[in-house]
Amino acid sequence: MASHGLVYDGCNFFRQRLVLATLSGKRVKIKNIRSKDDNPGLRDCEASFIRLLDKVTNGSRIEINQTGTVLFYQPGLLCGGVVEHDCNTQRSVGYYLEALLMLAPFMKTSLKATLRGVTNDPVDPTVDLLKSTALPLTRKFGIDGEGFDLKVVKRGMAPGGGGEVVFTCPVRRTMMPVQLTDPGKIKRIRGVAYSVRVSPQMTNRLVESARGVLNHFLPDIYIHTDHMKGANSGKSPGFGLTLVAETLNGCFLGAEMSSTPQGQGDPVLPEDLGRNCAQLLLEEIHRGGSVDSSNQSLALLFMTLGQQDVSKVLLGPLSPYTIEFLRHIRDFFQILFKIEVQKPSEDERKGGDKVLMTCVGVGYSNINKTLK
Amino acid sequence: EEEDEEKEQGKGWALRWKEGLQQKAAQAFLRQQEAAPNLRKLVYGSVVEVDDSEDEDEKELGGIFRVSRPQKSKKFQANALDCSRFNPDNSHNWDLEEMLNSIRDCFVTGKWEEDQD
Repeated sequence: MASHGLVYDGCNFFRQRLVLATLSGKRVKIKNIRSKDDNPGLRDCEASFIRLLDKVTNGSRIEINQTGTVLFYQPGLLCGGVVEHDCNTQRSVGYYLEALLMLAPFMKTSLKATLRGVTNDPVDPTVDLLKSTALPLTRKFGIDGEGFDLKVVKRGMAPGGGGEVVFTCPVRRTMMPVQLTDPGKIKRIRGVAYSVRVSPQMTNRLVESARGVLNHFLPDIYIHTDHMKGANSGKSPGFGLTLVAETLNGCFLGAEMSSTPQGQGDPVLPEDLGRNCAQLLLEEIHRGGSVDSSNQSLALLFMTLGQQDVSKVLLGPLSPYTIEFLRHIRDFFQILFKIEVQKPSEDERKGGDKVLMTCVGVGYSNINKTLK
Repeated sequence: EEEDEEKEQGKGWALRWKEGLQQKAAQAFLRQQEAAPNLRKLVYGSVVEVDDSEDEDEKELGGIFRVSRPQKSKKFQANALDCSRFNPDNSHNWDLEEMLNSIRDCFVTGKWEEDQD
């Protein structure tokens, strides 16, 4: 047991385990990966994820058994630098990027990652959503400047892919503690309606139907339309919408929807997608908090790795993914969060119950970073 | 005759919902209690993991083969899809005016607190 470090069962929460193992330097063993499935073992996307992890680290040891049902991972040092990776198209680039966002500030040299594959699919957070919610959130922890950017060079819809994004991130020695207890009121809604290899008119139809729902609340709504053509439009047709609500205190709540991939399920009308996406944003606002539901774990990780000071953040209801993430933080960093439920008062119309998360950071400092 | 039967059946239906009201209320209360638990316990308490090694012994076929069925009711799905997105199972109906009203104060156009106005 001791020689293998932490032991887990099953392939769920695969990325969080490997990311936390890398950051904490603890060895991890994952057993019974789809061991009872007709098609046992790791999927191609998970293998691709491991390869990406191998590219950004130096000296990692990865052992996989013959059937792929057992994985042993001994993390090396995070080295960063210029990385190129062809992401397996089973999952979108967001799947890989979510992990890179967690690791990038702690590299030895600043990361410049070029990721190719599916940029937008209905399963994972798309690159557009990560760009407009995860990046501003990370800035709150003291990671900013020119070098912090996510650029969509080519857009590639599922299932064909063919997209390309460039993610650059500077390194920091320590993370700043944050106090995000009051998100403030929502002052504006921004968004991106994108389409590739379909009529550019689709984006206008998306925007119009989404505005129809959101205009009940705010006049300040601006949704960009982004129609990429030719070599920049990937291999599959599709369209989608990303909406982000920005509050007075600089918190971002996002929601998004993409059209069903070609040849998988029923096609959707842009009007329906626009309206449903706007309602999804309302659902996200109802949940509320300073961080939206898909970025909860990112915020909690940076709080854990902060200086030895108190960090507080107000969240909406914890997602199952976040709950598991909290358990993993306990396993890897021995940090327990204080979790308090905040019920809104009777006369306030601010959606559902909120959760206030408090913790003292472990005082993690980036030992890889070279002193200048 | 058939009409009479139908009437009686209709009556039966009308009366049946009243049966065991107290019990139903008690159950609903307990359900609600479970739905709003101590969050700390929920997160850091022991996870309910279904141990599937026991029931396997009972499902032996011919003494050699064992039936291995995927457990769909498993509370903790070890091999489920690894995805950070949070899709609510009981989504609110955002076509209703009262739902829209429930978040009105989240916007700058809503009501402000006295000290912030």
